[in-house]
Amino acid sequence: MDTVTTTPDQPAAAAIFDQLKQMITEVIGEEFAEEMDIRPTSSFTKDLEMDSIEIVAFSEKVKAHFGTRIDFTGWLSGMDLDQLIRLNLNDIINYIQECR
Amino acid sequence: MPIIPINGKKVHVQELNKGAAETVVMVHGMFSNLSVYYFNIAPLLALRFHVVLYDLKSHGMSERTRDGYDLDSMSDDLRALMDALGLEKVHLVGYSFGALISLKAALRFPGRIDRLIMIEGPDPADDKTRGIMDEYSREFLEHYIRNFTDATKVQMGKRQLERNHRMYEYLFYQTTIKQDMLAEKDFFSSDAIAGLEHHPLLIYGSRSNCLRAGYFLKERIPGAELEEIEGDHNVPVQAPEAVAGVLLHFLTEAVPVMEPDGNVF
Repeated sequence: MDTVTTTPDQPAAAAIFDQLKQMITEVIGEEFAEEMDIRPTSSFTKDLEMDSIEIVAFSEKVKAHFGTRIDFTGWLSGMDLDQLIRLNLNDIINYIQECR
Repeated sequence: MPIIPINGKKVHVQELNKGAAETVVMVHGMFSNLSVYYFNIAPLLALRFHVVLYDLKSHGMSERTRDGYDLDSMSDDLRALMDALGLEKVHLVGYSFGALISLKAALRFPGRIDRLIMIEGPDPADDKTRGIMDEYSREFLEHYIRNFTDATKVQMGKRQLERNHRMYEYLFYQTTIKQDMLAEKDFFSSDAIAGLEHHPLLIYGSRSNCLRAGYFLKERIPGAELEEIEGDHNVPVQAPEAVAGVLLHFLTEAVPVMEPDGNVF
């Protein structure tokens, strides 16, 4: 029987990615999101062109969805501006998984 | 997003560490929004304080409004926000235009404001400060982005440029903001400022073109302290940890007492 070898985290990561993609679409609007190739490696500022107030809206959605067990604002506050600018979806997926 | 009605308009509000005993309300500047505090400064203050951030009218995710950008109206909104959140007395931090709103609030309802901090408050009488409003154009914005991205670390793409352009266009050409600001030009020379009782902390970037306003206010306001931090007018973005450190130190130190002879101990 053929089996697909996956690490246990992969399905969860894919589900989190889908969720995050949906949140980004809600924040920037469907017409813009459709034009963009949103991937796990997409960075918020450079690739997705999100500005800081949109990242605030996105952060609030992450907190609302993934619950109080993740201190998303606290995690972000530990980063300097360069890190925030480089932040991509994978970083957030990893963080959410680490908190589970 | 938490949106509450203030004076008939929808206002976007964010609160951190709601259970804390003391509250710090933070007011952002013109053409900016609450995100200037949200990522770095507010979470550090929230380790100790209940922190309230809000988007001014027509900024961030708050509702657009055609008029009422004078400091009386802006400070009315601030007081209404405090009332809506059940905040009797707060520490107030304002940046740039937000510093002017905060100073006005402290003058108009001193009993509601505990400690006052003004970051990079510009002198409304300074033509260079006001001139920026007249010089504005898409070219100006593009020039700004090209030349100041190193300082602000903001890298704007086409969509952002368009969004920002629309906001400037709206504020400049469809609201009363320009006239309202012009009408405030005598604010720093008003007698009321010399009677302010809050011993405010003034924070300015050491290379800021607003620093002279800081020296002026320090001379005029009894008991004012001036702290310079390496940076320019964008100092909260350039040095958020240093700004938060100075804020925390000031907000947690013993309140100075004004002696009858005017000295501060």
